[in-house]
Amino acid sequence: MESKVTLLVDDDEMIRIVKEDKMARRQTENQLFNQYSYFIKEGMNKYSLEQEDAFTAYSDTILQSLENIAGSIFEKRSSLKTYLYKIFNNKCVDLIRKKTTNKRSIYQTAPISEMMNMISDQAKNVIQQLIEKNDFELLRKRLNELGENCRKLLLFFADGYNDKEIAEYLEYKTADVVKTSRLRCMEKLRGLYAKNKE
Amino acid sequence: MEYIESYFKGNNTVEQKLQFENKILNDAGFADEVAFYISANGVMKQELYEEKKRRFREMYESHKVVAMQPRVRSLWKYMAAASVVIASFLLTWFISGNSSSPHQLADKYIQQNFKTLNVKMGSGDSLQAAINLFNSGKPDEALSVFEKFVNRDALNSEAIKYAGIVSLRLNNYDKAIKYFSLLAADSSLYSNSGKFYKAITFLERNREGDKEAAKQLLQEVVDKDLEGKNEAEKWLKKF
Repeated sequence: MESKVTLLVDDDEMIRIVKEDKMARRQTENQLFNQYSYFIKEGMNKYSLEQEDAFTAYSDTILQSLENIAGSIFEKRSSLKTYLYKIFNNKCVDLIRKKTTNKRSIYQTAPISEMMNMISDQAKNVIQQLIEKNDFELLRKRLNELGENCRKLLLFFADGYNDKEIAEYLEYKTADVVKTSRLRCMEKLRGLYAKNKE
Repeated sequence: MEYIESYFKGNNTVEQKLQFENKILNDAGFADEVAFYISANGVMKQELYEEKKRRFREMYESHKVVAMQPRVRSLWKYMAAASVVIASFLLTWFISGNSSSPHQLADKYIQQNFKTLNVKMGSGDSLQAAINLFNSGKPDEALSVFEKFVNRDALNSEAIKYAGIVSLRLNNYDKAIKYFSLLAADSSLYSNSGKFYKAITFLERNREGDKEAAKQLLQEVVDKDLEGKNEAEKWLKKF
């Protein structure tokens, strides 16, 4: 069991695992979070934030950094620590500015805008209007009613795992089985959502 | 849905892309499906972030970083805490007649501290359920739940610690040593009781060589100012 514990401190190794070794990613996420969690205290002292707010800013920092590393947006022009610290400071300032708004919204729009940017302007306008009509809270509720297997499949895919990796992780026979099940889950979610929306 | 997914994976040719976007403009049902796909992905990502945040919070609180509060604290709190510690120590000292062996001290420590597990805020529902199982006299069932957590996430230090404590309470010393070694190896913890607990387990097991191993660990706890330092200092005097 001890062999499962890898204590990563080296930037390059951490980056490699986030990008390539999805099986060890969860551990790396935890490791990264723990490694610089003293930032929370700094946020409390420097910006006079409540612990809860400093924690939110730090968690968002780690989540965003992980995405940036996975998407090669982090170009290693500075150390990971410096990079995280910069993002953390920005998040703290954002939090102070948005103090009166819902904290969930700090991250909410990122994945949507990423996909929207792939569509050309004319079609984008049509989709944008339709998205605005969607009830996100209801959609979230339906996602949680899907059943654990479906939910897991969809969340793993949303986390960047491909079907082969999901098959390995969740012990499905093949990647094709994962793909079929996953798409079926998505249809099921759509059905549930549409039914309740009417 | 597969067609939409393929588009957002970025695998399409320019021509296929144009076709896809034309379909959005000319087929309202299809456009609705695309909007749903994007919205659902946004919701899933958000759920994912929330889940990860919950995991981070559990780790953060279990690592006792929760103790981080504004620096200005009243001295009386420390004095009160110190008085309680001194009073308990004096009481223990008088009761034990100041003649306890290291083994007896370890035994007493286990009785006093590991009889029940404290339910800590942020431990997570399932961990709390396992703690409740232990506290209601079902240590075997509790251990099996803690072990599931450890198998799922070898860095879940809170589950590792509890698995060690419950193993110790079940007199499964070898298993307890294994878990406390794992805990002690986690350098990311702010406060790590792994070495101290391992020393207690050695003293409790009391096989040949165990006392020396415990002494060495207690010395390390004192030298490196690890959790359990106060007890370790006292216990070392008994060797």
